[in-house]
Amino acid sequence: MQSIAKQIHPATWWLLGAVLALVAGSSTSLIAPAVIIAFSVATILLFREDAGWARSLGFYLWLAAFVVAVRILFRIVFSYSDPSAEVAIPLPRFQLNFGLGAIEFLGDVSWNSLYGALVDGFRLAAIILSVALATTLANPRKLLKSAPGALYEIATSVSVAINLAPQLIESFNRVRRARQLRGKSKRTSRLAGIVIPVLEDTLDRSLHLAASMDARGFGRRGQQSNRELITARLLGLIGLLLNLFGIFVLLSGLGAMTAIGLITAGVASGFVSVRITSRRKVRTNLVKQSRGWLDYLVIAGLAALLIANFAGWLR
Amino acid sequence: MIQFKNFSFSYGKNETPNLHRVNIEVEPGQFVLVCGGTGSGKSTLLKALVGLAPHFTGGQVSGTRIICGVDHTDSMPHQTAELVGYVNQQPEGSFVAETVLEELAFTLEQLGVPVPQMKARIDAALLATGLDHLRDRRVTELSGGQQQRVAIAAALSAGQRVLILDEPTSALDPQSAHELLDFIHNLCRRENLTAIVAEHRIERLIDLVDSVIVVSKDGTVEQGLPGDLLARFEFVPPLIKLAQKLRWPSIALSVEQAQQQIQLPVEFKKISDPLTKDLAFDLKDMTVEYGSIKAIDNVSLAARAGECVAIMGENGSGKTTLLWKIRGLLTDSAMVPQQASDLLFLNSLSQEFSDSDDVAGVPETSTAKLFTEFAGRLDTSIHPRDLSSGQQLALVLAMQLVKPAKVVLLDEPTRGLDYAAKQQVADVIHSLTAAGKTVIFASHDVEFVALTANRVFQLKNGVQSADDSVAVALSHRGTLATQVALVYQTDGLISLEQVNADA
Repeated sequence: MQSIAKQIHPATWWLLGAVLALVAGSSTSLIAPAVIIAFSVATILLFREDAGWARSLGFYLWLAAFVVAVRILFRIVFSYSDPSAEVAIPLPRFQLNFGLGAIEFLGDVSWNSLYGALVDGFRLAAIILSVALATTLANPRKLLKSAPGALYEIATSVSVAINLAPQLIESFNRVRRARQLRGKSKRTSRLAGIVIPVLEDTLDRSLHLAASMDARGFGRRGQQSNRELITARLLGLIGLLLNLFGIFVLLSGLGAMTAIGLITAGVASGFVSVRITSRRKVRTNLVKQSRGWLDYLVIAGLAALLIANFAGWLR
Repeated sequence: MIQFKNFSFSYGKNETPNLHRVNIEVEPGQFVLVCGGTGSGKSTLLKALVGLAPHFTGGQVSGTRIICGVDHTDSMPHQTAELVGYVNQQPEGSFVAETVLEELAFTLEQLGVPVPQMKARIDAALLATGLDHLRDRRVTELSGGQQQRVAIAAALSAGQRVLILDEPTSALDPQSAHELLDFIHNLCRRENLTAIVAEHRIERLIDLVDSVIVVSKDGTVEQGLPGDLLARFEFVPPLIKLAQKLRWPSIALSVEQAQQQIQLPVEFKKISDPLTKDLAFDLKDMTVEYGSIKAIDNVSLAARAGECVAIMGENGSGKTTLLWKIRGLLTDSAMVPQQASDLLFLNSLSQEFSDSDDVAGVPETSTAKLFTEFAGRLDTSIHPRDLSSGQQLALVLAMQLVKPAKVVLLDEPTRGLDYAAKQQVADVIHSLTAAGKTVIFASHDVEFVALTANRVFQLKNGVQSADDSVAVALSHRGTLATQVALVYQTDGLISLEQVNADA
């Protein structure tokens, strides 16, 4: 099963996660979120690799359960009782007044309002697990490798940061243990006593790493004419302005179609800018993952799901 | 192959130069040792050869750097990446990729080598370094020696003809260190590779190298044949000290050369055991588990007052874990962790002193007095980070010994220290044991162990594998033999101090 997962492009996993989150978010019943949660957990268990970044399912499940519980708790504490509805949990009502008007707490909780809270909670939980699906199944390094050339330096920094994170935890534990050898200082707080050595350690390591990457050819660029560079930068700037203006138009309600037009133009301009700067790259990739038939199958399925969802067939 | 002409480097405009008018030249296929005291600028010289100084570190240069006959003085490091491979002190912290294969591909990808050629080059590099069976393994899973080899293979994958290594064996046990240096030596012979290696423990490779570059504290640099150059210097390995002590006409670089000079049987002082039988501690059946892995398993260790015990064993055999376990069990113990600087976070030596006095509730200047005893008098406005490793160790020890402690634990106290600094640490240990304290330290350094320990306690995969007197553990019969033991092949003779100079 893991070999099938490796054939699927990391971007496809993220697309799957995004579409599932969208469907879960627009759902009004309990069924769609429940199905999405079950699907996500099953897919993760089937396909996940045995690597650090893929071991976080437990965390996501706890987060999802916590969100559902908090949602229900809030509904009980801040319930707006509906006298006509059937009472599920009879509770006394409290009023608090801090001088800004009375706030009501608790009170009778109806079945309807409990069910509403449960749907809300499940929707959020389904979105969380859709994200979990993407993050645990798409190898972040591979995703970064397929980033366009213009963004390569940023992508590499991110992937190096992913490498450094476990080392940071390790040096934090080491310093904390060492710190106990020296009693409680009166001059600096306990936190500073740990943070200063850890930061110094991390800085040292990062500098070592950066030097070694430089010596291995990182940062090489091909030649590019000034005209190309200026065009790319101008297009990038124009794209940014168009997007800002488009969002302003959208939020101020001056016309949705105008806004969408502006944003589309802005994104297109940014895309062309990235394309031009990407020509500068001299790099090659040992393993370049391209989309295969499995990816197109998943994408087609997702398109069908989206159409079905917004046509209202799923409600 | 690689050459400096009148090359000078300094970090600031008006500062004293770190490298002063350096003229060195390394021929193709040579194996070259760079040595010098701690802080003498060995690393700076290597960085200047790669171009990291000044392009990465900042600073001023003058003079010329020539690689393969071309003037590369102004080239950035990434512009000479296909000519020079560089591995810094901590290869485990310099990996950029997840697997061995991807790590080797990194440089080639940066240089834009087409994929079919890239694959051929990686195969060739894996084959030359004997790492073919590890190609799909994660780099973090490998042992220290294997990681060094991967870093070397990655530095050579683009067909670089010059390899520059900064202290490649500082974290390795004697066996792995020996294997790694042999391996580099073979690469030079077989592949006609030029290797330039900075190293503190000169004895590990002195008999393998073709030429030696000595960096002095004033920034001057000399290059010459090992035999000519090292005889004059102070920071030398036991073999050369032996030659100086016995006043041989020429120094010996290898054990075989030394054996031709000595006379057997030799008169020597036996290592005596003057200690009483008073046990300082007796700890039985210590076990530490991390999840399902037993870091140490049923280890028992007892030590007498005034005794010094060295704990030896490969990386990951549980030395550090054992020390921390003992520290946890004995409340009256002091400990210096591997990175002594982990405990230092104030801005000056005087602040650290007075904070330590406050914390321990002892009269003022108690810590300062102890520190002076260990490391001599120093300017107290100095920043703790600017202290040498040996001085940091002394500071951390002083902080903990202001309160009475019977047992002192040290985790690799000589990592990265030169011979002079090692002697300083040995002096501290001697003064501690003379005062009746028990010292337990972990180390890879057999010569240092011979200088200080009474007993050697060996660990293998978390289990005790041997516990012998130092004369037995470091004898010529085992894998931990000192150079002197190897030369004389005489039971009970392991260190230079034992040899009688008048005989």
